[in-house]
Amino acid sequence: MAKLYYTPREAAEILAISDDAVLDLINRGDLPALRLSPRITRIPMVAFDRWREGYRPRRRRVSIAPPPRHVEVGVDESLPVARDLVTR
Amino acid sequence: MIATGDALLTYVADLVWEIERFAVTVLPPNDSDEITLGREDDGALVIDLECRPPRSRRSADVHLGIFERWCPTGVDRYERVDYRFEIRHDELQYRRAFHRHHVERFLRAFDVATHEHCEATIGVVTCDHYFGEPVAHASEGFMRLYELWLSDEKPDCSVLPCLG
Repeated sequence: MAKLYYTPREAAEILAISDDAVLDLINRGDLPALRLSPRITRIPMVAFDRWREGYRPRRRRVSIAPPPRHVEVGVDESLPVARDLVTR
Repeated sequence: MIATGDALLTYVADLVWEIERFAVTVLPPNDSDEITLGREDDGALVIDLECRPPRSRRSADVHLGIFERWCPTGVDRYERVDYRFEIRHDELQYRRAFHRHHVERFLRAFDVATHEHCEATIGVVTCDHYFGEPVAHASEGFMRLYELWLSDEKPDCSVLPCLG
């Protein structure tokens, strides 16, 4: 089992700031961390390292795909089979 | 859970931002600047993200999937009807999942709409469906799986109530 996270105290030591300052960064939503309980907070190492390097994700634009296109086929009509399409 | 189309776009943008903040990679086709929600024949909108937590060792990839289907319920209103949040850790050999699908069938059989899966060894199924509290939103589903990944331990499936 590998340890993949820092405690707030460990992060505080690395950053050379107080435990409270680390918790403040977490509470402000700046430093990524998981609050497992009121007393247990885990700071993922990789996310912490990237945060220290200045990484902040950019916010993505999100759109909705256009509706699927369908060909209306009448009662006595049919679509050509793939073989016919190839030979044309 | 009900949302307008615009609220749903914000919901997805927030989700992806949160995922990437935790150093998890969102794979193509949703890794570009713009993310597109799928749209099904019945007008349902689909969130379907395949993600990779950072590698913690020389391991095979860890697969983390997020899927939600939102059905139209009125003018510019969508309701989340299905979800699947899953993690598969190939090196530690576990699978964990939170599901909501085939709701009528599950309500009939088990009196609950949601269920979970837990395989401490992938492929070894000791219970087909475990009881699971509903996952309130995609960010919660992601966080619950991320927390498990972060522990770097197999889940203890034996503590979960088996529905059958």
